Amino acid sequence: MIIQALAFYLFAGILVVSALMVISARNPVHSVLFLILGFFNSAGLFILLGAEFVAMIMVIVYVGAVAVLFLFVVMMLDISFADLRKGAMQYVPVGLAIGAVLLTELVMAYGVWAFAPDALANRGAPLIRFEGATNAESLGQVLYTDYVLAFQLAGLILFVAMVGAIVLTLRTRPGVRRQNVGEQHARKREDVLEIRKVTPGTGV
Amino acid sequence: MTDFNLIPLLPEIFLSLVGMGLLIVGVSQGNVSTRVICWSSAAGFVITGLILLGIGWETQTVLNGMFVMDKFAGFMKLLILTGLVAAVGLSVRYIIQEGMERFEYPILIIFAGIGMMIMVSANNLLTLYMGLELQSLSLYVLAAFHRNSMRSSEAGIKYFVLGALSSGMLLFGMSLIYGFTGSVDFTTIGATVNNLSAIPFGLTFGLVFVLAGLAFKISAVPFHMWTPDVYQGAPTSVTALFAIVPKIAAFGLLMRLLFEPFMGMSEQWVQIIYFIAVASMVVGAFAAIAQGNIKRLLAYSSIGNMGYALMGLVAGTAEGAGAVVLYLTIYMIMTAGVFAVVLSMRRQGMAVYKIKDLSGLSQTNPGLAYPLAILMFSMSGIPPAAGFFGKLVVFNAAVASGYYILAVIGVLSSVVAAFYYLRVVKVMFFDEPADAFDGGLPFARRAILFISVLFVLGFVIKPNIFVSSSFDAASVLFQG
Amino acid sequence: MEYLIWTGWTLLYTLVIIVGVLIAVAYYTYAERKVMGGMQRRQGPITVGPFGLLQPLADGLKLFSKETIIPSGANRVVFLLAPMMLFALSLIAWAVIPFDKGWVLANINVGILYLFAVSSMTVYGVIMAGWASNSRYAFLGGLRSASQMVSYEVSMGLIIVCVLLCTGSLNLMEIVEAPRPVWMQVLLFPMFIVFLISILAETNRAPFDLPEGESEITGGFMVEYSAMAFALFFLGEYSAMILMSAMTTILFLGGWLPPFGMAFLAFVPGIIWFAAKTLLVMFFFLWARATLPRFRYDQLMRLGWKVFLPLTLAWVILTAGILMSFDALPNMPAEAAVSQDALTQIEADTSDAAGLSETSGIEDIND
Repeated sequence: MIIQALAFYLFAGILVVSALMVISARNPVHSVLFLILGFFNSAGLFILLGAEFVAMIMVIVYVGAVAVLFLFVVMMLDISFADLRKGAMQYVPVGLAIGAVLLTELVMAYGVWAFAPDALANRGAPLIRFEGATNAESLGQVLYTDYVLAFQLAGLILFVAMVGAIVLTLRTRPGVRRQNVGEQHARKREDVLEIRKVTPGTGV
Repeated sequence: MTDFNLIPLLPEIFLSLVGMGLLIVGVSQGNVSTRVICWSSAAGFVITGLILLGIGWETQTVLNGMFVMDKFAGFMKLLILTGLVAAVGLSVRYIIQEGMERFEYPILIIFAGIGMMIMVSANNLLTLYMGLELQSLSLYVLAAFHRNSMRSSEAGIKYFVLGALSSGMLLFGMSLIYGFTGSVDFTTIGATVNNLSAIPFGLTFGLVFVLAGLAFKISAVPFHMWTPDVYQGAPTSVTALFAIVPKIAAFGLLMRLLFEPFMGMSEQWVQIIYFIAVASMVVGAFAAIAQGNIKRLLAYSSIGNMGYALMGLVAGTAEGAGAVVLYLTIYMIMTAGVFAVVLSMRRQGMAVYKIKDLSGLSQTNPGLAYPLAILMFSMSGIPPAAGFFGKLVVFNAAVASGYYILAVIGVLSSVVAAFYYLRVVKVMFFDEPADAFDGGLPFARRAILFISVLFVLGFVIKPNIFVSSSFDAASVLFQG
Repeated sequence: MEYLIWTGWTLLYTLVIIVGVLIAVAYYTYAERKVMGGMQRRQGPITVGPFGLLQPLADGLKLFSKETIIPSGANRVVFLLAPMMLFALSLIAWAVIPFDKGWVLANINVGILYLFAVSSMTVYGVIMAGWASNSRYAFLGGLRSASQMVSYEVSMGLIIVCVLLCTGSLNLMEIVEAPRPVWMQVLLFPMFIVFLISILAETNRAPFDLPEGESEITGGFMVEYSAMAFALFFLGEYSAMILMSAMTTILFLGGWLPPFGMAFLAFVPGIIWFAAKTLLVMFFFLWARATLPRFRYDQLMRLGWKVFLPLTLAWVILTAGILMSFDALPNMPAEAAVSQDALTQIEADTSDAAGLSETSGIEDIND
């Protein structure tokens, strides 16, 4: 289908360009915005692959939540990114050298590209039971059965991440007055109000 | 879903329940409960160990082949749990003294422990990665646990950034492996690799990346840069943990990975491991000479020791694997003892880390000096001590497989390494005494030091207990 | 040829939706002023046209003819992109809304996720506007809105999960048509209430209009905008409100079906029911605005994270538990049977790799 090919090149092209812009944009906020554009286009590529569930989750999680927090942090930080970049140029030769090595290796690998003969059968084996099912159904079927261990471990990892974030950043500041709704509701008239008879001229 | 059998996972499940339960206790009781939670978690490790002994270690894979329980996993888990008990025991007094008494400390150790136990039982690239990340994430936080200290924060950040990089390499390698073999399951990968007439270049490429990622985790040269800084910057009790336990888990993982699915590619990986082993031994031996800080010294020492252990992997035989397990056991117990001493190096309530600070310890505090001297002799591999036998079996395995040059390099570098181990002994016994350390060795440290020294000296009497059990455990890897 | 006709129809349908939404937005602003006027014993707009009915058009014309001012310190591209993005997002979401049985532009499998994704992206318009304006008030408004929308999205997502558990599909049409016994409606009712409150926060409407907060930050993220750019924000905001009302209708109020399953009302076209239900929720937006004072920021966050999040999370577990224990999970039996069949087939074939590659699952990969 020509439309699909066009869409692919559109998404892929924008993805590559925006990825490039992420690292080359001068303004860090622009970098994050390009990053978001990149996420969005990769979601488009997922749709072309027929993985609509993953595409939507990509948008919801990465674009809708993760990148918002990125943007939030980048906007709030008062760092001169130009200063941070100053020393970066001196690493360019090293980076280029490593890049060149990797590129050569990739080219070499491409020259002798060969899959294991069983690879196709291996990859296909888990798919057979899901013929005709939608994305979400098939993912759900494997995620909570075959890969339940990985799923639970991912939960533990997130749990540790949460504990870690709290450990490293939560500081109890003295002198902060917080609203305690329960306390406010539990307050009774007798606790705070006292009615006294005051005779004129004496005071309380 | 044919094998929903959770029995082999009982230790991990129990430990995570302990972790979550203690977290609830900690949150409701606050930081005053740190000590109680520390000891409860140590008790949790012990009970987990008992459960582990109770579930039976005959080989079985469960949960769609993602998790394997066999003698090797059982033995490694037992080692890990022992190391964790020691690490928690060493920490309690220290974190109170350093004013970082927060209840999350033992809880993060528990979760790191779960990650490590999963690592040695992983039978699938996904499980492997999940276990590794669970362990690493907890350790990153622990490295930065002393958050008011610049050094600790720096150590945490450094460890995190480089750790994330290595995880990236690992994942890239895994994706290549998946691409070329079509599976993430070790058994399937193994079968696929064995069916190959010629190894595809891309598969080797993937394995190289995976090995690079794992070499980072065991701090082997050339992926060792983080080790000295992190060891130095992290709170000493955390350094003790780093030195004692995660390496065992990473080695368990590495051994299962190399000997089970990728045994068919041993030609490819032996060269890499060979290089890493040699580089680690040499760098570990020479770089440590210049160190004046005992924590940095121990960091290079651990790099060197990983080199010796990798030598057993190069051998690629059941004897080699057994030697690695034995070596790790001995290394763990010695290191725990050494750190019991390092943690006690305090003057006027402040921790000191210079080797110079140990001067004349034999006169001011012989109770610390003699055990440390014995441990140092053992580390450098002087005969009757346990460390000697560890090196002996590893060299033996290398020679048996015909890697003579490797063994020679090993012997030479251990001679160099002996220099700096023995320098510590010299400083303690022949230099002018410095001020005495603060007295009062807490019971846990005393017990760990005692057990460690007892093990080091007593190993020679009945070596067979440990030798046969570790060789027995490792032989499982070669049955399939 | 066939393809061209299809494209033509799609374009036409899109145009109808867009024009419809814009007209709805225009008269929603009118309705807002009338309703609030009524609630506050005023008259609302009465001078332009009969009953003031031409007021929205006059407002639009006024904004259109004004000058667009771009502050000198502003980041021009982002400044202008923000309102366009917000407006575009509030329109593209309508692509998956089924107005009646089969009346939908794109009947996709993951419709509800699409809606959720689009609504979660609207935060960018606001935060970009706040940042690009290079103004303290605007920036504050942008940050407030970012944290507010992200916070309430979490509980909204969990509420949607509750509904999905009961309906067993991510497709909006199937969600509407899934059978809902009374006990299920009772089960979902608390989530309906929480959802109503969450959409107020999600669209930055009173009493959660802190990003705008006229009396404290003088209009928040929109403070530097004028003329058409401002109008786009306005259109976007009201279109998002209507969209959220439509979403509530689809998730909880049964879409185009007659209310309470009254079959004798089925002669009324579905779109009427859909419109009526949506209008009801839209009225709720105005009602809330006219009635409730603005929340304080810490109260807003407390409500989102400490009340709604635990509540909705618990409700997901409760819903799942009830559905499991009464064996009422939708779509289950058939699926299980299918996968069981396939499993046995795999087990028969496991050792025979050649046999596997003949099945069509493998051929898909070969393509």
